[in-house]
Amino acid sequence: MQWLDTAPEGVRLPVTTPLEEVEAAARGAEALILEFDAFRDGRGFSLAAVLRERGYRGRLIAEGRVIPDQARHLRRSGFDGVVLGADADINAWKRMDAAFSTTYQPIEDNAVPIWRRRNPEPQNPEAVIETLNRDTRNDDAAAILRAALDPVLGLKPAVLSSFGAEAGVLLSLVARIDPSTPVIFLDTGMHFLQTLAYRKALSERLGLTDVRLVTPDADERADLDPRDDLWRADPDACCDLRKVRPLERTLIGIDILITGRKAYQTPDRRGLRPFELFEGRIRVNPLHDWSEERLAAWLDAEDLPTHPLSAHGYRSIGCWPCTQAVEAGKDGRLGRWSGAAKTECGIHLGRRTLPVG
Amino acid sequence: MYRYDEFDTAVVRERIEEFRDQVSRRVSGGLTEDEFKPLRLMNGVYLQLHAYMLRVAVPYGTMNSDQMRRLAHIARVYDKGYGHFTTRTNIQYNWPALSDVPAILSELAEVEMHAIQTSGNCIRNVTTDVFAGCADDEIEDPRPWCEILRQWSTIHPEFSFLPRKFKIAVIAASKDRAAMRTHDVGLQLIRGEDGQAAFRVFVGGGQGRIPHIAQEIAPAVPGRDLLAYLTAILRAWNLLGRRDNIHKARIKILVASLGIDAFREEVERHFATLRREDLRVPDEEVARIRAYFAPPPFANLPRTSGAFDRASLADPDFARFARNNVRRHRQPGYATLIVSLKPQGGVPGDITADQMDLVADLAERFSFDEVRAAYEQNLVLPHVRLDDTPEIWRRLAEAGLATPNADLVTDIIACPGLDYCSLANARSIPVAQALSEQLADLDYQERLGPIRVNMSGCINACGHHHVGHIGVLGVDRKGEEYYQITVGGSADEQAALGEIVGRSLAADEVAPAVGRALDRYLEVRREGETFLDAVRRLGADPFRDAIYGTLDAVA
Repeated sequence: MQWLDTAPEGVRLPVTTPLEEVEAAARGAEALILEFDAFRDGRGFSLAAVLRERGYRGRLIAEGRVIPDQARHLRRSGFDGVVLGADADINAWKRMDAAFSTTYQPIEDNAVPIWRRRNPEPQNPEAVIETLNRDTRNDDAAAILRAALDPVLGLKPAVLSSFGAEAGVLLSLVARIDPSTPVIFLDTGMHFLQTLAYRKALSERLGLTDVRLVTPDADERADLDPRDDLWRADPDACCDLRKVRPLERTLIGIDILITGRKAYQTPDRRGLRPFELFEGRIRVNPLHDWSEERLAAWLDAEDLPTHPLSAHGYRSIGCWPCTQAVEAGKDGRLGRWSGAAKTECGIHLGRRTLPVG
Repeated sequence: MYRYDEFDTAVVRERIEEFRDQVSRRVSGGLTEDEFKPLRLMNGVYLQLHAYMLRVAVPYGTMNSDQMRRLAHIARVYDKGYGHFTTRTNIQYNWPALSDVPAILSELAEVEMHAIQTSGNCIRNVTTDVFAGCADDEIEDPRPWCEILRQWSTIHPEFSFLPRKFKIAVIAASKDRAAMRTHDVGLQLIRGEDGQAAFRVFVGGGQGRIPHIAQEIAPAVPGRDLLAYLTAILRAWNLLGRRDNIHKARIKILVASLGIDAFREEVERHFATLRREDLRVPDEEVARIRAYFAPPPFANLPRTSGAFDRASLADPDFARFARNNVRRHRQPGYATLIVSLKPQGGVPGDITADQMDLVADLAERFSFDEVRAAYEQNLVLPHVRLDDTPEIWRRLAEAGLATPNADLVTDIIACPGLDYCSLANARSIPVAQALSEQLADLDYQERLGPIRVNMSGCINACGHHHVGHIGVLGVDRKGEEYYQITVGGSADEQAALGEIVGRSLAADEVAPAVGRALDRYLEVRREGETFLDAVRRLGADPFRDAIYGTLDAVA
């Protein structure tokens, strides 16, 4: 802002002049002086803003009845300078011009408005994940979840749960923060009836208000697995039909997927970290470093309902054709796709080679 | 609800420092009283009849318990132990010392509150439906948009020296519970053709000396263009609005004199050359603000409550409260509870510091830490369990806050009037109190059903008399306080201005006259017909006769 003793040469108009006349006079003018007849008459601010928006590039100077408290209004609506009277308190003008360090409105000066400062250009997603992992490196599962569910992130979260033997741990932690968080259950049509009963009992107990049952596409199912026996010939294709594709469809609009995966479960999960980037979406694994014993101790202490099959030696529970009980002392995950090299259904492995119809 | 980040905090803090600077320049003579006045008004400081008044903003009427407790603390430490809630969901303190104002503003800033733009010729506090987030007929919670408007309008460089004040109300249902069409701009949130939020825009509403109901200017402005469209409206008015006569400066006068079509053209001309993309709030920012207004973590509850049903059967007083002050909530097992600030013979909207503390406690314990200020000068606990309503009622009753009269005839809207206000011609409080006493019989009130009586102490109409089903306006007749009665006004989605029934009445004649009009309604109404419907069917005549018949007979 220029603090002027006298106005420069140029076109001179009172702020009471109609906009059309001001625009006509400004055309080609090197300087335009707008005279304020009363400081309460705020027409000058709109005149300046309109002139600037419509392309006037000459000097714009305010003169007349204006007060120091309007310094930034003048500057921000497009004035270059103001003519100060002989007895003006220039320090007051400077102080008032600098009274605010930030601003909400995008107007004529080049100040970056608060909305843009809050939402800078998108960062490299890998860098975001790195930051989140670094910030939570000493945090427990609840703190990791709170970081993921923080409304300030403005991200849409969902929890993926099989309602298996250990599902109560993650779901009770989520319910404490926000029981309305969407919980996705992949209803493959092949689950044990006990799993379905457990889903109902656990959801009610925890007060979960948004458990979403995600089923395979009926047409795809009729096409690829009309007799419901695909699992015999090609378990990968069966998982793809009943879990991978339905999940992919349901995750549209979800930015953060929270899972109950643990590092101890499979060799692939050994390096599991709390936050990871997976197909453009953040995955959160709050229980990444929990042991099977710790999970059991938690479930015990919380007095939550247990999966009816737990008592029968089932420790990792998926669809009935591909799940078995496991002897005590052995790896619980051995009960999944027993006898095959397969250890994952595919929802945590990335894009499938099978085309999604 | 919304929480400040470092930017919001900086704006409010820097505003206080700016005001401190202005006060000290006023004291040292650097600013004349004429120059200082609009600056103090834009910080909520009025000079009233007997003292300064400070009006604190409650943006879109939403507060948490910490904020409510701070309001109580301010009433106790800096005022006479009470505050007054207004129809624009703000709170006023009537007796602060001017020298305490910066300290009060600092106290407010600590709980993310302020008094910015609660007065003056600028964009005022945005109001909305008090049942936002609870009502089952709303399209989406309107408050994220209100917060966006709050931020955009705060210390706006172009729109801080407007011809006159500018008020915006936002609703998100076809039912209007915010008197939207009495505002300079009314926004009705709708779904646009693309399924995204859009706004039906009304312009040119206002009360005061020359009342107008706002007219539709645009059927569906997309949410992303809302700020640009509002900028165009304000620009058109800022450049063309009258500044020669304070009574003709509001946008309603410009819209009425140009006609809505010519005004629309004017707005569209500005809208066409605006750099609209600059005014688009980034999607991430809309999502960020929306996330703050996500529904609270409701429990899965049965639709009905044994505790509520048992209490209703056992205690007729609770049953009456439940009938009138407990409203349906869209979440099963929950309710919205109205805390009436209209006790029998009380001052409408007044609340003591102790009562504020109690409401804060109840909000914290029973309503997800949220309390709302309503357009009707009541408070609302938005999300309480039906199971808890008997307990809440008991505690409210102990504090004199359980008057079961929400939307009944003694739920009177009234301005402070000549008891406080330097503009008033007549007192409104004693007249409202007399009416409240005369109509105290709750059985009678329930028989009458919903009736809104609005009372203003002068033609500026802060008590919304034009849109009361029954309106009472204080006038000055040769130095005496007299009152003009209107019937048939309405502030809802069928907004209408009331009709003046006849010559004005002396203060002590008002309550009996209103009583006669109400008795006449009971005689003439059809099955299920409300007072307002009866006036619409029959016109004002039967009520005019009732009001003046007896008087004339006596005279």
